[in-house]
Amino acid sequence: MQFFRDTHFDFMRYRRFWFIVSMVVLVASFVYVATGNRLNLGIDFSGGTQLTVKFAEAPDVDVIRELMVAGGFDDASIQRFGDTGDNAVIIKTPLTEDLDEGSRAQVESVLSGHFKDASGKLDVNLQGVQSLADELFALDPDQLRALDETQAAQHYQGIAAAVGDVKRDVGLLTSWDQVSSLAVVTPEVAAALEGSAVMGPFTVLGGGHVGPQIGEELRSQGLWAVVLALVGMLAYIWMRFELRYGVGAVVAVGHDVFITLALFTVAGLEFNLTTIAAFLTLVGYSVNDSVVVFDRVRENLRQNRKGSLLEVMNQSLNQTLARTVMTSGTTLVVVGAILLRGGDVLRGFAFILTIGVVVGTYSSIYIASPFALLWERWFGAEARSRRRTA
Amino acid sequence: MNKSLFWRGVAIAAVIVIAALSAWPLEENIKLGLDLRGGIHLILQVETQDAIRSESDKDLDRLVAELVGNGLTEASGERTRDDAFVVRGVPAGSDDKVREAVDTYLAGWSWNRSGADIRFNMTAANSNEIKNLSVVQAVETIRNRIDAFGVAEPVIQREGERRIVVQLPGVDDPQRVKALIGRAAFLEFRIVDYPVRAAAPSSVEELLAIGRDSVTGQGYGGRLPDHLEVKSQILRDEADIEIGRLYYAVEKRSAITGRDLRSARPGLGDFNQPVVNFYLTHEGGQKFGEVTGANIDKGLAIVLDGNIVSAPSINSRINDSGIIEGSFTQQEVEDLSTVLRSGALPAGITYLGDTTVGPSLGQESIERGFRAGLLGLGLVVVIMLIYYKLSGVNAVVALALNIVVIFGSLAYFGATLTLPGIAGIVLIIGMAVDANVLVFERIREELRRGRTVKSSIEAGFSKALSTILDANITTLIAALFLFQFGTGPIRGFAVTLSIGILASLFTAIFVSRWIFDLLLTRRRKVDRISI
Repeated sequence: MQFFRDTHFDFMRYRRFWFIVSMVVLVASFVYVATGNRLNLGIDFSGGTQLTVKFAEAPDVDVIRELMVAGGFDDASIQRFGDTGDNAVIIKTPLTEDLDEGSRAQVESVLSGHFKDASGKLDVNLQGVQSLADELFALDPDQLRALDETQAAQHYQGIAAAVGDVKRDVGLLTSWDQVSSLAVVTPEVAAALEGSAVMGPFTVLGGGHVGPQIGEELRSQGLWAVVLALVGMLAYIWMRFELRYGVGAVVAVGHDVFITLALFTVAGLEFNLTTIAAFLTLVGYSVNDSVVVFDRVRENLRQNRKGSLLEVMNQSLNQTLARTVMTSGTTLVVVGAILLRGGDVLRGFAFILTIGVVVGTYSSIYIASPFALLWERWFGAEARSRRRTA
Repeated sequence: MNKSLFWRGVAIAAVIVIAALSAWPLEENIKLGLDLRGGIHLILQVETQDAIRSESDKDLDRLVAELVGNGLTEASGERTRDDAFVVRGVPAGSDDKVREAVDTYLAGWSWNRSGADIRFNMTAANSNEIKNLSVVQAVETIRNRIDAFGVAEPVIQREGERRIVVQLPGVDDPQRVKALIGRAAFLEFRIVDYPVRAAAPSSVEELLAIGRDSVTGQGYGGRLPDHLEVKSQILRDEADIEIGRLYYAVEKRSAITGRDLRSARPGLGDFNQPVVNFYLTHEGGQKFGEVTGANIDKGLAIVLDGNIVSAPSINSRINDSGIIEGSFTQQEVEDLSTVLRSGALPAGITYLGDTTVGPSLGQESIERGFRAGLLGLGLVVVIMLIYYKLSGVNAVVALALNIVVIFGSLAYFGATLTLPGIAGIVLIIGMAVDANVLVFERIREELRRGRTVKSSIEAGFSKALSTILDANITTLIAALFLFQFGTGPIRGFAVTLSIGILASLFTAIFVSRWIFDLLLTRRRKVDRISI
């Protein structure tokens, strides 16, 4: 089976048309992203606190938002996390002047105030394994402390760890049966737990806080990473090929990044550090693609001294078409798999790469090569000699 | 089989075996990042100015005490900045006494007379050393406190001038950890002047109005004498909410402080309530014995971080141990003992940022990531087999070896696998095929041009080589910048991506070629290959 066995598409024929289309889309993308606060910034860059909270029953986002406002968090943002059955939300609160260590405790207490009964008992869904071990040690339902305190402590640590494992597997403990069915849990321990602990209606799956200093650093680091990577690649391509190809590749990459960013913003996905990683990968991939074409162009130029750059480019594009389709195809299949099945955390990453592969392939043909051609026309050897004799 | 083929085969086999042995079993040998294992990542900043300030106070007090002791009874001083103070009441002719005191006790200070005052400034060298030491000591203190948590493989590292990064895998209670780490833990024992064996008043006004000096019997009359100050005890109910305060007049001077403690351990009080048993050092015990012996029947305020925890009455002389009791929970008693044992922090700590990944979130991420990976892998295998037929098998074998080498390298170099790292591996699966595709398409082209099978294969590999190298190196450059500027999960991704690219270069160039060569030597003349 072979597609594209011997193609002779005249890619370069409509290059001006597609170039203009691309530029228009590019400008539109740039404007869209730059104006208005449309980009969904993660706390990595905006600073603030984020909590991923899982509820025993499906949470009402509006109710939670009202609670946040009542608790003094007017600018809290609430999004669903995971699938509907997960009953989880992400609550984000921006940086505030007085809470410079983050608002996790405050948010937890706002939620507790509404969803829990005030009992002051140990909440196995909110407090950690260590606290559970300490509580069991204090209660000593198996009456081991009189014999040997250290062994008793270890014994209760083991029980707490086992409960922690169950919690890890289910996410949120909902019934005492989940605990009492464990082998290490004696009936006395189970009774003691039911009496002096509760299983709260929500648990915090994860969270984080980024203070202003760190946020600032991450922002500038992220920006520098992308800029320097581009410069680095330009330098490498210039070294291996010629400047015109380097410029062509960089323009193509810039085009890919902005258009992908615009679509990313439309989709409302969260822009965080992992996103920067995805963009850098996209940059690498896009340049990768352009390099394959340029390599062929260089080879063909050596062999075919008569043809113009335009003809050679067309020829090279046709020759590499099979490879381009095949590689883009397999990469797409793979990132598509991550997009569909990889879970919430990686969705943004997969989205960027999926769009990026498609746009990147297009740009290798209709941005990188034509631009290199244009550069050559304006600044190339012929142009220079023409100017000299003029 | 010719020599080159044989030795290349050996080399390949060696790499595979080493990789496989390093990596399997997977759960044990691959280091998981916090975002997969679950755990806490904290970034702290040590407020080194606090340490400078307290050193200045200490040195100032010492200097004034020395000068007064040497006959300069009018000497007094006050701190003007964090690292500077001024001394007054020293007549011009007595500068030699000052010099003597400074040479003996105040090595890190420079001073000069300015009229009736003597100005002192901390030297830059001294200031830098204090700042540096405070960070080093903070790291140690934090390490001691975390040890009590029993974390496997904690990471506590200094970063830069005054930052500390703490990583605690497997821990799921960030509030408790932050409270434990950041607690100043400044413990003091102060003698209570008022009330004596009576209930304490519940407002400052009341205290100042009805309180009286325990020695002279005279009322304070609305103002405390210079050697006393007001400290409060916070009363809480069962749900830990503040329900009121009690106010005491205590001496400013502390009888003993946390530094005089030898050890502290949780225990049970008379009514089986959780208490902290503390044990004093030899000198601490002597000091304490003197003070308690001279103040029987008065209250002893146990002050932690500026607040009174409890103020029991002294019944008899206490020499070397005692208990601290208040309305503590078992957890509070455990943490307090840990914190007292580890010593007070030399300076304040602020949290610049933190990340917590609960174990179930991490677990889910692993599962989803791997499922996506398997799906992607399966599809790619199918595509390669359909499109390139038997040569596709070559590519699939190379891909499988690629994965083995990637995991082997991760295990061998102790690199951390993070969630983006898993995505990176999945991505590499897609891109690794590229190298094979480049070669195969080239071989197809050469075949079309009419070359023999053998020379097509050779031409395919040699012409594709420079393209493969160029293309992969540019992606490698991207990974390099990611590594430089990234932290945590991003670094994990950059490392995994780099390892993946190198592994795929190895398998595509070296292994695929070897497999082709192997197949070719089996027959004298090959006129067709399935590609």
